[in-house]
Amino acid sequence: MSHIIKKMSRRALVQALIALPMLSLFRGQPAAVGPNEIVEVNGWILRRSDLA
Amino acid sequence: MIFDSYEAYKQAGFKPKACILGSGPAGTTIARKLGAAGIPVVVLEAGSREFSDESQDFYRGKTVGDYYFDLDVARLRFMGGSSNHWAGWCRVLDKQDFEPKAWAPDTGWPISRADIEPYLGEVHDILELPAFRPDVSVSDDIRWVQLIKSPAVRFGEKFADELDQSKNIAVVLNTYATELVGDGKRVTGAKLWSTGDAGTFTADYFITCTGGLENSRLLLWSNQRCNGGVVPNAAALGRYWMEHPTFEGGNAVLANYNEFEVDASSEAFFSPTLAAMERLEILNFGIRLIETPYPNVKRLIADLACTAPDMAEWMSSKLDQNLRCAAQLYVAWEQAPLASNQVELSKTDVDHAGVPRIELHWKKSPLEHRTLLEGLRLFGITLAQKNLGRVRIADWISNGDDYPTDEETAGYHHMGGTRMGTDVLKSVVDANCKVHGMDNLYVGGSSVFCTSGQCNPTTTITALACRLGDHLSKVIAV
Repeated sequence: MSHIIKKMSRRALVQALIALPMLSLFRGQPAAVGPNEIVEVNGWILRRSDLA
Repeated sequence: MIFDSYEAYKQAGFKPKACILGSGPAGTTIARKLGAAGIPVVVLEAGSREFSDESQDFYRGKTVGDYYFDLDVARLRFMGGSSNHWAGWCRVLDKQDFEPKAWAPDTGWPISRADIEPYLGEVHDILELPAFRPDVSVSDDIRWVQLIKSPAVRFGEKFADELDQSKNIAVVLNTYATELVGDGKRVTGAKLWSTGDAGTFTADYFITCTGGLENSRLLLWSNQRCNGGVVPNAAALGRYWMEHPTFEGGNAVLANYNEFEVDASSEAFFSPTLAAMERLEILNFGIRLIETPYPNVKRLIADLACTAPDMAEWMSSKLDQNLRCAAQLYVAWEQAPLASNQVELSKTDVDHAGVPRIELHWKKSPLEHRTLLEGLRLFGITLAQKNLGRVRIADWISNGDDYPTDEETAGYHHMGGTRMGTDVLKSVVDANCKVHGMDNLYVGGSSVFCTSGQCNPTTTITALACRLGDHLSKVIAV
């Protein structure tokens, strides 16, 4: 890994670091929380919409 | 014929081929089957026609482990046996109760439900039942099941006249076998007690139907007295004892629904599908939903208001329209068959006849607590998904606290101890209820259950007794 970094220009390295947060865009998105999702709160088995 | 003492019986000169110990649902049913087949049979009943403290005293014992009822009030020792305090709730074990389950060791029977179904017509006549309706699917996980609230047949009362008039059946009251004597192949006699030592009694066949605790006690003591001559393969004797633990599991608020109806007692019953049991690796359970009076509804909605205000507001408006919207949830569940749950003989305490009293070792397992919690979750999820209502699980269950000691605890259902099976190390009787290795000793009643399912056992006990009665009629007639 350190060998690759030594061969990169300083400019390329900075650009790569700036681009890192973009990777999160390619990660799986969390499932949308639907109103009918079942949740357990204080012992109650509810639909999420019940908590609105 | 009914005799009030062994002396009176002896004078009658009756010559039975078979001797049945106990006149409860199993003993009476088998006797009626043999009598109808023309086979002379004697039924020895330890008690008299009525309850007495003196007779009940023979049933005193001790429980080690989880809290359980006093053993002398958990069953009855007079004509008709424990049918005398039976509530009359009827249902046959489910098909899935007979099947082995990979996630629960030592489950599975050597017979299937289909083996007892041919006898259900007779059972309906005996217990005065209407036909069962099929289970109704509420979701992929939950079935609405039926428990018939029958007239609660008291076998001693219902069949007293028939037994008295029978030429083939002799019922001898106030008489019981303190021990069976055997040589490892056959029972050769029974030592009797009838207001004192009454000598030895012989018959070609013996069938012990003394109940889900007493069958184990009698066979353990008999085996101890004759060095294994009564139950030659005794590794499982007294073991795998089971009950139906029963506790209040929570509450529900209910919307208007058409998916199920409550019965005349404002109750409905629910159980899991086999698919849900397999997926969650839990045992069978029964949720008893009881519609609750108005004050409980308000308390429940107040609790809900802290968690889900909009839901509580909607429920309050429903309350104005329809009072039928809250319920208590009681849960009874199948207990895992464990060798460590067992009937033992007391080393220090004996009854008036000198027979060691019972020391019952009984403890609920972690799998059962998971069955209780996941079962309530399954039911709650079904109600929420279908918008039939909402469930609140009791805090002690959600938090994994100890079982309460001020509740119902269990069903007075005593199962196992002489379980049916093919492996002599894990069972006592074979598929025909014959004690392994013995030619003439059979066991009737719920002590032969391999698993308990979730329902009251009397219907299945009676069906198994009809089946055993038919089998013995053929065996003895040869």
